[in-house]
Order: sequence, then C-alpha cells, then structure tokens
Amino acid sequence: MIRLQNIEKVYRTSTVETLALSSINLDIAKGEFLSIMGPSGCGKSTLLNIMGLLDAPSKGDIKIDNQKTDHLSDKQLAAFRNKKLGFIFQSYHLINDLQVLDNVELPLLYRDSTAKERKMLATEALEKVGLANRVKHFPNQLSGGQKQRVAIARAIVGRPEIILADEPTGNLDSAMGSEILDILLQLNQKDGTTIVMVTHDENMAHKTHRLVRLFDGSQVQ
Amino acid sequence: MFKHLFKLIWNKKKQNFLLMSEILVSFLVIFAVFTLVVYYYHNYKKPMGLDYQGVWVINYSNSYQTKNTDSLNLYYSTLVQTIKSLPQVKQVSFTADNTPFTQNMNTGGITFNNKKMDGNNWYTVDDNYKNVLNMDLLEGRWFNKGDYATKSKPIVINSDLKEKLFGNGSALGKLIGDGDNKSKMRVIGVVQSIKIKGDYANTEAGLYQRTDTGSFRWLGKMLVKVTPDADATFEGKLYKTVANYMKNSDVEIEHLADKRVSINYFTLVPIIVLLIVACFLIINVALGLFGVLWYNINKRRGEIGLRRAIGATGNSVSSQLVFEAMILATLSLIIGTFFAIQFPLLNVFSLPASVYIIALFLSIIFIYLLVFVCSLHPGKQAAAIYPAVALHEE
Amino acid sequence: MLKNYFKIAIAVLRRRKFFTFISLFGISFTLTILLVLTAFIDKVVGDNYPDRKRDRSLYIARLEEVGKGNMSSGAPSYYFLDHFARNLKTPAKMAICSGFNGTNTYINNKKIAVNYKYTDAVYWDIMEYDFVEGKAFDKKQVENAEKVAVISEDMKNEYFGDVPSVIGKYIEADNVKYRVTGVVKNIPITSYMTYSDIYLPYTVSKSDYKDKGYRGGYTAILLANSKDDLPKMHDEYDQMVQRIPMESKDFNKIYSHADKYIAAYVDTGNENQSGVVLVLTIISVFVFLFMLLPTLNLVNINITRIMERSSEIGVRKAFGASSKTLVYQFIVENIILTLLGGLAGLFLSIVAIYIINSANLIPNLELSVNFTVLFIGLLVCLFFGLLSGVYPAWRMSKLDVVTALKAQ
Repeated sequence: MIRLQNIEKVYRTSTVETLALSSINLDIAKGEFLSIMGPSGCGKSTLLNIMGLLDAPSKGDIKIDNQKTDHLSDKQLAAFRNKKLGFIFQSYHLINDLQVLDNVELPLLYRDSTAKERKMLATEALEKVGLANRVKHFPNQLSGGQKQRVAIARAIVGRPEIILADEPTGNLDSAMGSEILDILLQLNQKDGTTIVMVTHDENMAHKTHRLVRLFDGSQVQ
Repeated sequence: MFKHLFKLIWNKKKQNFLLMSEILVSFLVIFAVFTLVVYYYHNYKKPMGLDYQGVWVINYSNSYQTKNTDSLNLYYSTLVQTIKSLPQVKQVSFTADNTPFTQNMNTGGITFNNKKMDGNNWYTVDDNYKNVLNMDLLEGRWFNKGDYATKSKPIVINSDLKEKLFGNGSALGKLIGDGDNKSKMRVIGVVQSIKIKGDYANTEAGLYQRTDTGSFRWLGKMLVKVTPDADATFEGKLYKTVANYMKNSDVEIEHLADKRVSINYFTLVPIIVLLIVACFLIINVALGLFGVLWYNINKRRGEIGLRRAIGATGNSVSSQLVFEAMILATLSLIIGTFFAIQFPLLNVFSLPASVYIIALFLSIIFIYLLVFVCSLHPGKQAAAIYPAVALHEE
Repeated sequence: MLKNYFKIAIAVLRRRKFFTFISLFGISFTLTILLVLTAFIDKVVGDNYPDRKRDRSLYIARLEEVGKGNMSSGAPSYYFLDHFARNLKTPAKMAICSGFNGTNTYINNKKIAVNYKYTDAVYWDIMEYDFVEGKAFDKKQVENAEKVAVISEDMKNEYFGDVPSVIGKYIEADNVKYRVTGVVKNIPITSYMTYSDIYLPYTVSKSDYKDKGYRGGYTAILLANSKDDLPKMHDEYDQMVQRIPMESKDFNKIYSHADKYIAAYVDTGNENQSGVVLVLTIISVFVFLFMLLPTLNLVNINITRIMERSSEIGVRKAFGASSKTLVYQFIVENIILTLLGGLAGLFLSIVAIYIINSANLIPNLELSVNFTVLFIGLLVCLFFGLLSGVYPAWRMSKLDVVTALKAQ
C-alpha cells in the first residue's frame, strides 16, 4: 500500500544542515496496522508527514497504492490526500468555532458532495466512534478523549484507505488512550483500513501488527 | 462551502463584531461621500439654463426717493437709456436681489388646486431678463409690455415648478393661487430651470413675476449684457456713468462669470476637504483590516494546516479566507444598506432617489473591492503555510 | 514600575513594526485633522487682532423685531445705537461701525474690488489696529465729515503699487476721492466684524445715517472698565432694550443683546436659536463621527495585538501579575503609542498648515500651531490612548490563564 524507498530528509538553514531521516525503506501492506516508535526528535513525525504527502523527501521515492507521487502538483496532491488519506493528530486540530458535525464534514467539503450526503456520512462516522449524541456540541465542550474521537470520525468520514495517526493518545490518560486504540483496531479489522501510528506507548505498539523503531533518523528495527 | 464558511463566521460573531462594525461605519462614510459626489455630478450634467458670459451685475443702493411713481419710473428709464447708449451694452434688465450665483433667496408658498406648496423661489424680473441671461423658453412666451394691464397677473414658471404642479401636462393658461380668479396668477410661459446656485447645485422650482410700477422703490440690481470686447476701461466708464447718475448711491459692478467661479468654489471646497478626509479614513481602515486579517491567518495556522492535510489546495485555502472576509463584508453591508435605504425611503434631504441608489451601489462595490484587496495578501500568505510545520507547532 | 512598563512598551512596539505603523498612522492622521480644525477655529474666533480688548468688550450686532406672525432681524441702525445704547452707564467707551460692503474702483484700466466700512473715531481707540504708517482719523475729522480713509496693506499695494508712503495721497472708491491717513495690517475676511479694505468716517456715508429707522447696517462695541463689569453691562443693555418704544405697530417685541465676541460671531439671526449651541453641536457631531472610525480601527488592532500576546499574558499571570497590573501595562503601552502618534501628528499638522497657508485659501488667514492647539492636541492624544486602550485591556484582563498559555 505504501512503499518508501531510500527516503532521506535534510533540513537546511543558512548555517546548519540537519539530517532528519536517512535511508528509510519501508513497505506497508494493505490492511496492515503499523506503529512507529522512537525518542523525541528521531524523525517520526517527519516520516509520517512524508507518508502523508505533507512534506516532500529530499531524496527517495514514495509510492502509495502503486502510484508515484513526486510529480504531483499541489492540486493533485490535495485531491490525493483528500481521497486516500486520513489524519489524526496528538492535539486533535479541531476547529473550535465549528460544531462537531461540521468538523467531521470538513474533508467532504473539498470534494464533490451534497449537503445531505455530507450530513449522512458524518453522522455515520460519528456513530462509529460512539459520539452520535454530541453532534451539536462545540469542541471545547468535549473531553480530550471525545475530541480525539471526533478527530477519528473526521479522518474516516471520507473512507480513506490509509489513516496516519500522529501520537493520537499522547494527550490522553491511559483509559481514554486505550479506548482510542480500540477504535483504531476495530477500524483496521472491520474495514481493513491501513493504519500507521506514531506512539510513545510500548503497550499500544505491541497491540499492532508491526513495530518500526527509529533512532536519529534511521530505522533500527 | 458557502454555508460552511457562513457557519464559521457566525459562530465567531463575537470576535468578528468589531471588524464588522468597522466595515459598517466605513460603508456609511463612503455612502455619504458617494451620495454627495453622485449628487454633484448629477447636477453638473444638467444644463446650466443661462448664459453667464458677458453679463455684469450692477448693485446699487436705493437712492432716488420720491412719492411720485411716474417720476420714479422716469428716473430709472432715463438710467436705462443712458446705459444702453454705451456702445458695448446690449441689454439691461432690472431684477430683485436673488440674481444668479448669489446666496440671496426669496422663497414662498404657492397654492394650486387648494394645495399649498412651500419652498418655491420667487423672482421679480423685468421684460429683458430672459434675453440678458439667454434663457431657454420651453412653452408659451416671456413677459412683454402688454402684460401691464391683464386681468390676472401673468407669471412664467420654470420646468421644475411645472413638473411639480402639472407633471407632463401643459401649464399654459393655467391659474395658480388661491382666492377668486381675480387674484390668481396665469401661467404664460415655461422656461428651462437655471442652475442659479452654480454648476454643482440642483435646480429649484421657481416662478417669475413681472416688475410693476412700484417695484423701483425696492429693487437693487441690474443685469447688463455686454459685448465680448467690453474691458476694464469700459467697465470704469460704465461705473462712472452709473455712479454719476445715481449720486447718492453706493454702486458695485460684479461679473456673473466671476460669481459663478466663487460660488462653485464654495460648493467644491467642502467636498474636496471631505474627500481628502475620507481618503485618509479609508487608508486607515484598509491598513487596519489588513492587519487584523493578517493576524487572524497567523492565529489559524493550525486550522489551515489541517485543511491542507485533509485535501484543500493552497488556492482553495486562500480563496476561503478571501471569501470569509467577503461574507463578513456582506453582513455589514446588509445592515448598512438597511440604514442607507432609509434615505431615499424617507426622502431625507430631498435628493432624488436615483442619487441615493447609485451611491449605494457604488459604495457596495467600493467596500467589496476594499475588503477584497485587503484580504488578498493575507489569503496568499495562508496558501503558503506549510501544513507539515503548522500541524506540529503545538 | 513605570520605567519597566515603558521599557516593555518600547520593546513590544519595536517587535511588532507593522501593527505599530498602522496604529501610528491612524493616530497621527486623525490628530492632524483635529489639529488643523482646532487651528482654524482658534484662528477664526480666537485671534484677537485687532480687538485686543475683546475680553472686556461686548458687541451689539443684531436687532430682532417680532410682531404677530412676522419677524425681522438684522444689524441695528446708527440712530438706534447712538440714541439708545449711548445712554448706558456701565461702558467706559462705545464705538459704532458698519459692516463691510463692496464697491469697485478703476485705476490704470484695472478693476479693483473694494470693501469699505464706516466707523466713528472711538472705534480706533477701542480697536488696536497695527498701523504700518500714519494714523487713524480723529473725532474732529469725523465731525467735519472729512473725506479721509484708513486703508489696509493689501489695498495699498493693489491701488498704489509698491511705494514707500501713501499718507496724504488720494484713493478713489465708489466714485469719491478720499485722503489716506493711515495704513493698517491686513485682517482675514473671517474676522468679519473688523475686516475691511477701506475704513471711512460714518459721516461721509452716502446713505443717511441719521435715518430714524431701528434697522441699519451698524454694530456697536461696548468697552467696560474691567472684565468684571461685563455681566453688569450685559444686563443693563437688556433692561434698556425692554424700555425702548416699538418702531411701528407691526411689532410688539424687540430683542437685542450685548454679547461677547464668540456669541456675536456665531449669531444665527434668530432669537430662539443660540449660535454657540448650534456651532458646538455641529462641531462635536463632526468630531465624534470623524473619530469613530479611527477609534474602532485602533480598538480592533489593539485587541489583535493583545490576543497575539496571550501567551505572554498567561506567563505573566501565572507568575503573579494581577489583572490590574496587566491592564496598567497595556494602557501605558497605548498611551506611549498615542503620544508617539501625537508627535508624528504634530509634525504632519505643521506640514499641513504650511501647505494650507501657502495655498492661501482665505487671504490673510495665517494658520499656526499655537500652544492652545498643542494643548488640545495632547488632550486629544491622551483621550485617544485611553479610549482605544481600555476596552482591549479589559478583554485582556478577562483572558483565562490556561487558554492564554495554551494558545500560541
């Protein structure tokens, strides 16, 4: 599903060159649930950004769904992300001024869809994460766990094949954290969604199919 | 998408309130300025209705005192003969103080069909007035000597008054005034209204009545039409002629052309000052809008990053922000239009409704343009936000 | 503490150059307009050349006769002033002069428009015109109806050209030759009570100044011994007017007042409408509307600036700053910003006034930034600073520490 070949990422400022990632080779199969671990600053997030096409590698190739992505324009990239990828962040990134339902509908706004469709799909997604009774709330009326569930609903509303989760439980206590993980596991098992999750939590990582460890920008396992 | 943005703005109405009120106040200011400009332009496009070149005004204080009306008339007809004998003089006319391009006014009500209408200008003029000013006669005729002893007093009305009283119908021969037919005035002619207060002022409804035998007791102005070669030397001669004849009078000669320039100046200077002030106000507001929008972009980096991540292109993000600003402007404009539309509805300041409507449209376009320009750059900046960075700032 | 505030304020303003620029632009421009406006008002009504004794003078400039359904209002006649006002006990001196009227004169094939004004001899006593040369006509010359004239500098230059002295020369106006006795410094037309090109003895007036009608074209200036006598003088005249017989059967009431300069200057010509109130209302409405927009703008920008600094505020609060100190800090910042804007505005006003003066929109009206104007400007500045700072500061003090710290 995702194939990374010899990925390298260098951050340059006028004085310093920082090697964020070097020679990463990774093959993620369809339906796989992969977790990435590593200490702070090891390049996990950079790797996830590259997989999510938010960031371009300095060297190397990414193929998603057997499609090369390096030649895509901004517009094509945006459409690609919209259809194939779903994102979950540690700090949720919900829009505080929009109600839960509107937040979940957001990805659908960037593709052809009617208001009715959007509402149906968003409600469905919210049901999946168990928040069907919270549609009219604003994000700041929700707990952290609920917020993250909204974020998951948003990530799956467009039925993407891949979900990229960047420390989705990082801001949550362990009870809420495992709740979130359960939802993700379920998505993986039931819908066959490919999931890549960055995490700090060994226990969680071990519940997934495969674990990749990064250290100083290199793959160690 | 529109609904989505509208929700976004609506839910942020508290934060947007100040911005909206600023746009609202700017709109009202712009509306006021455009109303004035459109009104002046509207007036400027109208025909002048008179020929001011080579027309001089002689002001004199009433000097010749006599109880005898005949000798009074003789005194002034001799004066006219004397002036007319000068080769450069073409025509001479006596008129009351409300000559063109002065601030003097003489208004009063008239009754027609038992309805009293106020605010009409009354001009007391003689038979030569129309020719001296080269006014356009639309219907009927001007005064002549035969009007001396008619049954009902003959009057000439201008096109504004005609429209006010008769609309599209004919005015000739109609009687105006109250009481019995004897005291009514008969319309014998209609002239094109003249812009008596200068190029930028509106014409007003008015009626002309003929001077009568006793009028010389209180008249104080003569209009003299001179040939193009009349220069200062001739003016000096004319002045001496008049001053020597009217020994006890203070005499002053003015040119209608100069008076037109100065009355235009008095109308234009305030609006120029207003335009300069409004211009700076708008620059001020534009900078402020720009600053606030720009700052809002920075505050919403996370949101923008997210939108990019879930499939918005750079362009769609930047057009979203521009669009948001436009919706804000629209909300303010709706409220503003509500206020502005009261002016034509309630007929405030009695300007023509078309002036308000045009000004309204111009102001709406102006505000949209202003907001568009101010949000363009912040929008572009937003498009340049790097989602990978923005999403990991927190 | 204040020094600390000051330091922070300067640092903040320097860091946020764009916002600082917007604020400064708004403040300085608004102030410029207000300063030019006040300079204009100050010049027009506050300039006391040539009536330097204005603070102990009253002016009788209007007479209103009211009857049933008719009213007539205008300047009183010479007869009225001489016959009635002359009998007042309080005034130390009384001068009578006419308003200015226009006429022409022709010299060397050139037309000159001339404004002339009739005065008595006392007028020159009460008024302190600056004589460039010569002197005013005296009482005897007035009594003998001598054809003499005091002219303005502009008139001298226009009529005689650039000659050293014109005393004793003749100037022709309104078809009469007058001998020049003095030349005075120019007065702008806005000081319409004292402005003229030529000043003549009222006794040479072509119209009959002895006419017994109450209305004419004259004004009286009453000079009291001291400022304290003004109310007394005012009341004495009012009481006297009550006793004056009606001019004709058409009228049943006469109104006329001895007013201070400002009140006389802005008189509306209507007993029921106070000119001072009217003018003040117009000016305040204009100023309010005019300041509304920049203030809204400033408040907007200030709020933006505060929100931008919410994390700083959070840190300060977390480390023990009370809401009050933060509000103070913000207001101090604003006042400093406003004062800086005021400085820029002052500079801009000087430029604007220079441009207005050189454009010579109104002849002889030389605007200047004087201390009154500067003082008003500073007051306006502070008012502005507080106005645009208080609401944002209040919003800031409401800011929750936790959210403030969380927000970037």
